[in-house]
Amino acid sequence: MENTAFRVEYKPRTGSEAMCEALLDEGVEHLFGYPGGAIMPFYDALPDYPLKHILVRHEQAAAHAADGYARATGRVGVCVATSGPGATNLVTGLATAQMDSVPLVAITGQVGRPAMGKDSFQETNVVGMTLPFTKHSFLVEDPDELYPTMRRAFEIARSGRPGPVLVDVPKDVQFAACDHNGYRRLREASEPLEGPALEAAATLLLKARRPLILAGHGVTLSGAEMELRLLAERTGVPVVTTLLGISAFPEDHPLYIGWPGMHGAASVNRAIDRSDLLFAVGMRFDDRITGAVDKFAPNARIVHIDVDPSELGKVVKPTVGIAADAKIAMRAILGHLDEMEDPDGCEEWRAEIAHSQEPEKRREDGARDEYGPIRIMAAIKVAAGEEVRLVTDVGQHQMWAAKFFEFTKKNSHITSGGLGTMGFALPAAMGVAFAYPDESVWVVAGDGGIQMNLQELATIRDFGLNIKVAILNNGYLGMVRQWQQFFHNRRYSETPITGPDYEQFAASYGLSGRTVREGDDVEAAIRWAQEQEGCVILDFHIDPEANVYPMIPSGMSVHEMIEEDGA
Amino acid sequence: MAPKAAALNPVEMRLTGGMLALNRLIMTFQNKRMPVAGLSVGRDGGGMRATIVLDCPPETARRYAALLSGLEDVERIEVPEDTLEVALLKTDTERWRESAIRAGIEAHEQGGTIVASGGPERIEPWLSSLEVEDIVRLGPVARPGDGG
Repeated sequence: MENTAFRVEYKPRTGSEAMCEALLDEGVEHLFGYPGGAIMPFYDALPDYPLKHILVRHEQAAAHAADGYARATGRVGVCVATSGPGATNLVTGLATAQMDSVPLVAITGQVGRPAMGKDSFQETNVVGMTLPFTKHSFLVEDPDELYPTMRRAFEIARSGRPGPVLVDVPKDVQFAACDHNGYRRLREASEPLEGPALEAAATLLLKARRPLILAGHGVTLSGAEMELRLLAERTGVPVVTTLLGISAFPEDHPLYIGWPGMHGAASVNRAIDRSDLLFAVGMRFDDRITGAVDKFAPNARIVHIDVDPSELGKVVKPTVGIAADAKIAMRAILGHLDEMEDPDGCEEWRAEIAHSQEPEKRREDGARDEYGPIRIMAAIKVAAGEEVRLVTDVGQHQMWAAKFFEFTKKNSHITSGGLGTMGFALPAAMGVAFAYPDESVWVVAGDGGIQMNLQELATIRDFGLNIKVAILNNGYLGMVRQWQQFFHNRRYSETPITGPDYEQFAASYGLSGRTVREGDDVEAAIRWAQEQEGCVILDFHIDPEANVYPMIPSGMSVHEMIEEDGA
Repeated sequence: MAPKAAALNPVEMRLTGGMLALNRLIMTFQNKRMPVAGLSVGRDGGGMRATIVLDCPPETARRYAALLSGLEDVERIEVPEDTLEVALLKTDTERWRESAIRAGIEAHEQGGTIVASGGPERIEPWLSSLEVEDIVRLGPVARPGDGG
């Protein structure tokens, strides 16, 4: 079209351009995606914008990479896929993000509007398909709505309890000319919190004799690590975290005692059983934490703080429930604590916990020199240093890493908690590495999960990502095998699993690898990996029947905890 | 005997959007295993209205209402004190008048159709006590007001 008044060539704005501009206006720098027919107009516009697109090798990896990026930065991660199979491949990644409250925007191409509803080539109802595990979703049929919808998607993804938002855009809408409709922010900035519940929470915390702070992912999501630390230090209350709360509180802090639950520390499970107050912040009493709910923390009153009001009372009934952002709520409670007299603290309680930790510490210390997970985790920490970010997959290695890697840097532990998605770690680590290209990123994975997204080594190589991979290879789907051992009379049905020679496999991608067996120098291998440029795979062959202890069988309580072999 | 009134808790919502919003709402009921004992949907000058009756303690219903209020499509939500179930029916017997009075149900005849309204906990037992030829349940709506 030509503007005849000024003889200036005027290029109509297209839907695709509006999408790119919305991404820029949201401060997006990286997109993880894979092109295809229905998203081609967007990909055609993309090179004209300063947006870095990372071509993955499978759409699931795009979602996990965006997830890892979001977890590491606190910003909204973005993934892109085409219609049909491209969109269906995103599903696991979206569900993973939804379960762990991770802010994502997923953009999918859709067949053109005239073709919709006609079983057209690569048509799927991705909005319908993802309803249960997206925070919200849009099918944008009006080109003029594209820009504001994209902006709104970001706002929804990061506001309140974060989560994934899907924006499905028909191909002809991406092509269509559209106007800039502007955008108005939906929500105002949060205000200071007031109310009697906050004072009540502060009073309960100070008056309790055996209190525990139980910190979850919400602490990290709201950037409330400092408030958590201040609260703990002000009151002297011991801190435990959920699996996703690990690294919200430094593990070398004298008040940190570990994490509870099915595979959590026995002493922490016992402490919860004995506690008279659980100050739970940014967590949702997942069944892996509680086991049998009616036997969980039977002596404790509960203060529950969560940004999602529907979490309060969902699993356990709180004495005081506070629907608020973790950071704002803890700041307000700290304010109340300033006005209160400190009673005798909980010195006796801390001594009791320390005493109950002694057998575990003795067991761990005894295993530190043996070839196995404890030694491997310690060696990674030494070689990679305090600043390392560790991304784990799902299974036994995940528990070992969570137990034996001492996380001292905030938000340095990234894992799939709620959904327990095998195959998460390698692509999620890509997201972390793009967010922090100068920092050390390690993946710890099992030989089952690593094979689920191993194709991403090509992406890692193409972008020269400095990701080190430690595979704890036991030739089994280890956690399932462990359950078979305990609960199915060692019938190892379909859990033995093979894999490639990882040294050769890495070499085929132009990467380095090394196999490490019992008797080899673990520390030297890890040092070597750390010193290499780019991605390295270390394939640790470990005891095939090593188990994760303790273990509380599903749906049972701390009283049924299995603490060691033969126990 | 009629069920305890406290067990049935109405929640009324105003929704933005159309079929997708309704789809997401129903998916959320199923996804969170909400004890939905009744559902009615309508459209009026204020847009789409959905009313559910939850068969659970009031505290649980309030928590579900909080959860539903977090959905982007839910513009307004209310846990009203009272709910009205409306049913249109045909019956051969004339005893509906007396039994309606006994059951505390408002009922009248209009053009051969009996229009009955009352709390959901009263309506269903009353209907099952009659020999009814045909029933159209209009579903629960909040009372009083126009909902939402």
